Amino acid sequence: MRVAAGVLGLLVVAALLANVIAPLDDTAVDLDRVLNGPSAAHLMGTDEVGRDLATRVLHGMRVSLTIAVLAALAAVAFGTLVGAVAGTMGGRVDSVVMRFTDVAASQNHLLFGILLVVLFRPALGGAGAVMLAIGLTHWPSLARIVRGELMSVRERPFIFASVGGGASRLRLARRHYLPHLMPAVGLAFVLTVPHAIFHESAYSFLGLGLPAHQASLGNILNDGQRSLLAGGWWIALFPGLAILVAAMTIGTLAEYWREHLHPRWRSELEL
Amino acid sequence: MLKLILRRLAVLPLILLAVATVTFVLTEISPFDPVEAYVGAENNVSPQRKAEIAHAWGFDQPLPERFGRWIGNLAQGDMGNSVITGGQPVAAEIASRAGASIALVGGALALVLVGGLVFGVLAAAFRGTFFDWLVRTMCYFNTAAPSFWVGLLALYLFSIELGWLPAGGSSDPRAIEAAGVDFEHLILPMVVLSLTGYAWFTLFVRNTLLEVLREDHVQFARAQGIGEVAVLLRYALPNALIPFVTLVGTHLAELIGGTILIEKIFGWPGLGLLTFNAAVNEDIPLIVGITLCGCVLVVLGNLLADVLYRVMDPRVREALT
Amino acid sequence: MTALLDVDELSVGFRTRAGTVQALSRASVTVAPGELLLVVGESGSGKTVLAHSLLRLLPRNVDVSGSIRLGGEDVLALKPDALRRMRGRRMALIPQSPASSLNPVRKLGGQLLEAAQARGLTEHDARRRLRELLAELGLDLDFISGRYVHQLSGGMQQRIVNTMALVGDPDIVIADEPTSGLDSDLVDTTATQLREISARGASLLVITHDLRLAQRLGGRLALLYASRIVEVGPTAAFFKAPAHPYGRELLRALPEREGKSIPGLSPELTALPDHCAFADRCPDRFDRCTEAVPDLYPAADGVLARCFAHAER
Repeated sequence: MRVAAGVLGLLVVAALLANVIAPLDDTAVDLDRVLNGPSAAHLMGTDEVGRDLATRVLHGMRVSLTIAVLAALAAVAFGTLVGAVAGTMGGRVDSVVMRFTDVAASQNHLLFGILLVVLFRPALGGAGAVMLAIGLTHWPSLARIVRGELMSVRERPFIFASVGGGASRLRLARRHYLPHLMPAVGLAFVLTVPHAIFHESAYSFLGLGLPAHQASLGNILNDGQRSLLAGGWWIALFPGLAILVAAMTIGTLAEYWREHLHPRWRSELEL
Repeated sequence: MLKLILRRLAVLPLILLAVATVTFVLTEISPFDPVEAYVGAENNVSPQRKAEIAHAWGFDQPLPERFGRWIGNLAQGDMGNSVITGGQPVAAEIASRAGASIALVGGALALVLVGGLVFGVLAAAFRGTFFDWLVRTMCYFNTAAPSFWVGLLALYLFSIELGWLPAGGSSDPRAIEAAGVDFEHLILPMVVLSLTGYAWFTLFVRNTLLEVLREDHVQFARAQGIGEVAVLLRYALPNALIPFVTLVGTHLAELIGGTILIEKIFGWPGLGLLTFNAAVNEDIPLIVGITLCGCVLVVLGNLLADVLYRVMDPRVREALT
Repeated sequence: MTALLDVDELSVGFRTRAGTVQALSRASVTVAPGELLLVVGESGSGKTVLAHSLLRLLPRNVDVSGSIRLGGEDVLALKPDALRRMRGRRMALIPQSPASSLNPVRKLGGQLLEAAQARGLTEHDARRRLRELLAELGLDLDFISGRYVHQLSGGMQQRIVNTMALVGDPDIVIADEPTSGLDSDLVDTTATQLREISARGASLLVITHDLRLAQRLGGRLALLYASRIVEVGPTAAFFKAPAHPYGRELLRALPEREGKSIPGLSPELTALPDHCAFADRCPDRFDRCTEAVPDLYPAADGVLARCFAHAER
């Protein structure tokens, strides 16, 4: 499992770098080669205007990953903010905030996200609106984690010692709370990325994300739906496969991280 | 128990109010200009005309008034008017399309529950065998694979290549009655919609069952000389089903998102397709209306899960009275 | 007299991520018909594993070797159907924790009936037998049938599992830690209940770490230390003059005697030494003790001890 994860991980990284090496020309239409199946010349075939699909998928991977990572960061930012408020203030503020978090957590991500994308697309552009939408729908689990960790660390003796030694709130935050939060938040961030990849693709597939001519994996899949009737199954197959591979790789690596670096969260006996 | 239901239902309007408020705030702070969107590409519309439209929609009134009026309307079931249908009430639009989605979601949910139970139990019973491995691998695949991708592939394979099933229901809302009873058109989207949920449920049933099978009372039942099948069905499964029902309630929320994508792929004339069209045409009142309805559905789903949990677990039932 | 239960060279190891946990190493005990045998040891010494092994209730990741003969048949070699028939009818279990041993989401009536019918009783006979047994213990079948486990007191739960153990008239009853979690004033009550079970004619195997209970019960005693049986003999003899140093130190640690606890810790079951497991902590240790694992040597009348000090005889 570890080996497989590592290998897949390398593939993803290679894809990212290859984009820099294999330049993409979106307007390189080749009307002689419209809708060709996979062949030696075009490993993934060509699309409905003759462009090489493999190149588009590679670039689409880069775009999708970038947006997904930024979106996950947005979710971490929002979640940390909310979680910090709840975790440090406690009491009634905490209960109100957590109730609000619960309601937000139970809503369907896509439906609410669509509203956000439509509302903010004029200002932020397709990619920006998608990042915002993902960030504003995926923050609840991060808020819970941050709140939980803060509540547990606040009670530790070394905090009391610090305060007794005259530490200010800010110093506490920087030197004690932040380092304690990092591992859990980092892991949660990585675990959010596969979800973000899925949602970015979904929004683009619905035509709400990046503009159609820019290669995002979801966009290409949308093209794929159109070309299905003409028999172009490869345009539907490969982008989706890329999404699957990316999501599985990151998910597996995150699970590996959780298993091996967080012994608290691992069960001892394998019965 | 009745008290619980009433308490939860009493909170529902508050939750809706909170969601409505958040939505209102978002629409206010967003740069989206509904007048511009309505007017569209026509650039020979005069500022006066735009002001007239704005006035007709009440946009020139002060903020608190607008909010109050909107909430008041919502309370009476008036969710405003949809833009894409040229002014039809949102509530009516939603109501007319709900039936098709209910058929789709209902069918998918049934598949998820039955499939998850059957395969989860079998996988646990035959743990370690090839069958178990096969079931688990397919489930891991289905949880990681995007549903809309699988939908496209299924569409290609079964409709276009093999021609076994039609390629999609008509997207004409007026054909809803026909599509509702048309099993041929329903089956493919229903199966695809159920795949992700089915995968999660199967894994959940299997894993919970295996955990329960290690518990003391199962060991003791075996010690009585009770056979493995009886132990599985009467001492393990009922206990494992209790957390299972909470999943059912929350899965409803998942299905909402899936519906949007699947209906778009298969052209199924339900609320999902309506949402898609609304989004593409930037029909904010309609999107907001559907979002609020979705919120109600989710809250009701969670309530259902909690009620079922209490019905099924005698220990919890006691603690509450 | 031929033994009813003959455990011969039983070894049980659990395969885990941390290595193999050797819970029992070549344990051999016999129980005659109608006899009372106590298996005594600290927590983690392998006692409960022995109880579970006898009924083959072990998890999947175990390595088992040796034999367990019940009336001549090897339990470890039984086919599933035969195993099922053996459980409850010939060998019954009184579990350590009655509260968690009954299905929490099913009414008790159904569970009791199903357990009784699993012994081959017809529904009518099952009800009758259950009613009789419960009444002897002061419980009413109808009262219990409609209730759930959590609605009953600990004492009632204990009596219910006792009833379930007896409903099939087994040849041998295994009581796993009958006093765990009980206040010390209930130890005597438990001892009485167990002796009553023994008086019915069934053999009784009691697993316990409670020395007070052991003394009150009498019979024969097998002492377990770090997966090995280190002493076997009449219980009275053990409490008067233990043959194995570990037994001696255990008794010295009792509050009513010297109250002096044994220094050091018992060895990890994943890393058992190749020599006497008690050697590191033994005040009477000599050279041979760290060279090899001692066998069980006769130490006195009817007493065996796994100690080189008794090897000369």
